[in-house]
Amino acid sequence: MADEQRCAVYLDGRVIGYVKDGAAFAEEVRTNRRTGVVSGEINVAYIKGLNEVHINADRGRVRKPYIVVEKGQSKMTDELKEKLKNKEIDYNYLVRRGIIEYLDAEEEEEIRAAVDTKSINRHTTHLEIDPAAMFGLTFSTSVFPEYNQVGRHPVSANFIKQSQGLYAVNFNNRYDARAYLLYYPQLPIVNSTTYRTLNINRHPSGQNFVIALATYYGYNMKDGFVLNRGAIDRGLGRSLFYRTYSDEERRYPGGQQDHFKIPAATTEGYLGEHAYSKLSEDGIIEQELPVAEGDVLIGKVSPPRFLEEQTSFGIGEERNRDNSVTLRSGEEGIVDSVMLSETTGATKTVKVRVRNIKIPEIGDKFASRHGQKGVAALIVDEKDMPFTKDGIRPDILLDPLAFPSRMTLGQMLETLAGKAGSLGGKFFDGTPFSGEGRARVDEYGKILEGFGFDKFGDEVLYDGRTGKKFEARVFTGIVYFNRLLHMVSTKLQVRSRGPVQILTHQPTEGKPRKGGLRFGEMERDALVGYGASLLIKDRMLDQSDKADVWVCRECGDIGYYDYVKNVAVCPVDPGATLEKVEISYAFKLLLDEIKSLHILPRIKMKSE
Amino acid sequence: MKQEDNVSVAPGEAVGVVAAQSIGEPGTQMVLRTFHTAGITSVVTTKGLPRIIEIVDARKRPKFPIMRIWPEKEIAKRYEKVREIWRKVEEVKTSAVISNFEEDLKAGTMLLHLDREKMGLYELSAKTIISKISKKEGTDASMAGDDIIKVKYKAKSVEATRKAFVEILGMAIVGIKGIIKANVQQADDGSFYITTSGSNMEEVINVEGVDKDMLYSNDIFEVYRVYGIEAARNIIAYELTEVIKDEGFTVSQRHIALVADGMTFTGKIKSIGRHGVAGEKESVFARAAYEETVKHFTNASFFGERDMLKGVAENIIIGKQIGLGTGLVKLEVKKEDLKKIKPKND
Repeated sequence: MADEQRCAVYLDGRVIGYVKDGAAFAEEVRTNRRTGVVSGEINVAYIKGLNEVHINADRGRVRKPYIVVEKGQSKMTDELKEKLKNKEIDYNYLVRRGIIEYLDAEEEEEIRAAVDTKSINRHTTHLEIDPAAMFGLTFSTSVFPEYNQVGRHPVSANFIKQSQGLYAVNFNNRYDARAYLLYYPQLPIVNSTTYRTLNINRHPSGQNFVIALATYYGYNMKDGFVLNRGAIDRGLGRSLFYRTYSDEERRYPGGQQDHFKIPAATTEGYLGEHAYSKLSEDGIIEQELPVAEGDVLIGKVSPPRFLEEQTSFGIGEERNRDNSVTLRSGEEGIVDSVMLSETTGATKTVKVRVRNIKIPEIGDKFASRHGQKGVAALIVDEKDMPFTKDGIRPDILLDPLAFPSRMTLGQMLETLAGKAGSLGGKFFDGTPFSGEGRARVDEYGKILEGFGFDKFGDEVLYDGRTGKKFEARVFTGIVYFNRLLHMVSTKLQVRSRGPVQILTHQPTEGKPRKGGLRFGEMERDALVGYGASLLIKDRMLDQSDKADVWVCRECGDIGYYDYVKNVAVCPVDPGATLEKVEISYAFKLLLDEIKSLHILPRIKMKSE
Repeated sequence: MKQEDNVSVAPGEAVGVVAAQSIGEPGTQMVLRTFHTAGITSVVTTKGLPRIIEIVDARKRPKFPIMRIWPEKEIAKRYEKVREIWRKVEEVKTSAVISNFEEDLKAGTMLLHLDREKMGLYELSAKTIISKISKKEGTDASMAGDDIIKVKYKAKSVEATRKAFVEILGMAIVGIKGIIKANVQQADDGSFYITTSGSNMEEVINVEGVDKDMLYSNDIFEVYRVYGIEAARNIIAYELTEVIKDEGFTVSQRHIALVADGMTFTGKIKSIGRHGVAGEKESVFARAAYEETVKHFTNASFFGERDMLKGVAENIIIGKQIGLGTGLVKLEVKKEDLKKIKPKND
């Protein structure tokens, strides 16, 4: 039993013993770790509130390196720095010697880390290797984050994850279910140390856009922006979309199996001759063939689902089922490559990769590295875009009002740095906390002035449509933009008529089923509240599951129409007269379900 | 045209739906978490969305019942008089004025060690305590030493003795049962009033000096019992208004009044939901559409219920035009009137 004085020691969550002084014990373990007595992969934390020592040595802990500080002195001395520079020692040497140590979340809780050498005081226990090390891999591709509002950082990291780029160099040999590939990925003019160190610069995911913070006849309000058609025609933001369709010849119990082939016209579920017209003899599509919606990519015939399937004529002949793979609805493209292979189960498999060029269009999403997203709201002919005295026309016109509320000054700085960099022909560094804002503006301003530009990036613009000079000077520059993978062409869907569900006769849901948009309870309530009674009927009945039902005048039960004798029949009394009533099919279904409860609902009608 | 015609609701207006939406929309923005403010004088109550749910569900007792007791006009500005009411109101249990006690269950005696400091706080003397305890049948209390009261209880079993002692310890020496805490507070005009946590209108109303017209409790059912259904309606409306105002939203009084009226117009307090307003709808379909579908259909079949398809929910289910808004009016022309219409000659 542990008394109040003793402190429990946990190893990976299990009590292994007790010590008198937890804090001193934790410190001792720490010293041993630094001197190499115990493994450097161990983390120890003394939790004051619980009076417990937690030692963690299990896997899956996220750990972060810090420089150790002792007695207000960083252990990373100038001497060591010099040696590291001359490659006399390496990083691992520092880790082994306990100069740099890795901390996990629990141990990190108790430390006092200084951001730089200047801010070390007598309480400091650790020092950041670099202030930029506090960010993750994704966010490291961003620049100047210290000038942005904190709330924009997670937004920015999210957008970077969604950007299209050169995701893998061997994309031609891969069969990813979905893949996006940017046509001309560029290195960002402004990048960071982490960005260069991680070699992300060999997999860029965006392009340097010429931007101007200007309105354009009200077309780029809110997060909309205006794109330059000339720039798009020159390949700006152009990307490839790959989708892989795959199938295999499955084996079934009883020795039957699927077959890749062009199905015979007698096959059940035959899609019509036209759908299979692009398949070659083996039932698989040819490379470089343009395909559109409804085209079969892999022709496949499966054996019947149930043996001796019952038909209306007794036991009929066995019919094979068509199980072909067709192109997704609403998509088109060119067959990029076809791969034939065998699975481990020795069945044939086919993978067909379809490629499609996605040219930026109205509705496509772009974002800078500062959490500033936008949607193409208008694509303007190059001749109509505003231009500068040098004849430069921006690729993109952003709404100036995107900045006051979001406070992403990092993008402002990047605009300036990008402009200076492109003029001076060099890259700039935007590593977090690596410089001072004013000095940077001065540096970029000097370059800009040297090339005859305004030092703050402002420019006189002329309206491309009228040729008139704009009264205000416009902030222009170059910002690295990512094209995000949300594109209208993969999302757009409309429906006026279309498929309905079998059970309820109501329209289907979702894009792949050509579905409608749900007119839900709250929407209905809104119409009730407004009193638009016929509009409710239109939504809930006429455009949904309207059904004509025959109701018996005598017993109030639902009958049916006999098209052979041309009369409506009541199942209870065949001689009774019936009335045609317009109700929602869901209500008929409800009545049927009530009947299943052994309750007979009757409909009484009043004649009008 | 009269002025009131401008503000009266148009025929066919879906007042209920509009009221529900008008109260429900700010409700989505309210935080579900309740904040308890620390302090001695402030009385704890439920706030925000939980309180709205409490009211609308017509709970028999609020989680934190409170009262506001106003003294009669003549004594409102005299602190001592109000203090006197306070002394009569706040419940002081035996256990609150003693430091500890010893019981001898076999002999049937209990020694209460009085805490003079606490007694002073409630302005109590040992005599009043003794007389109060003695009022319990079979009990005999007397002084046994300076600060000790000896309680004797004659009972057949040890168990019964123990039960009686526990009862004596929990007994109210002064004050009214259920009033856990009371505070005297001063209004802006200088008059004093009492706020309490815990509510017991039935007894407080009989305390001398209490203004019966101003007595307030947030316990809706208690108000209903003591003052009647009209008062309960007003309390529902007032409480809803206060909660919504507290959260910084504004909802038109008409919507709140409709909710309060809907809950009380039958003469009893009904909740909004399965056991109240929604569960007592006339139409089977409307009830079944809300909750417990199968139960409503089976019960309807037992009694051979007939749904006249008059309401909104039923008509949407079967796919008929609803009888609200534009669906309320119908155009009818007499056949003979049609003949009177003559084509215009231009």
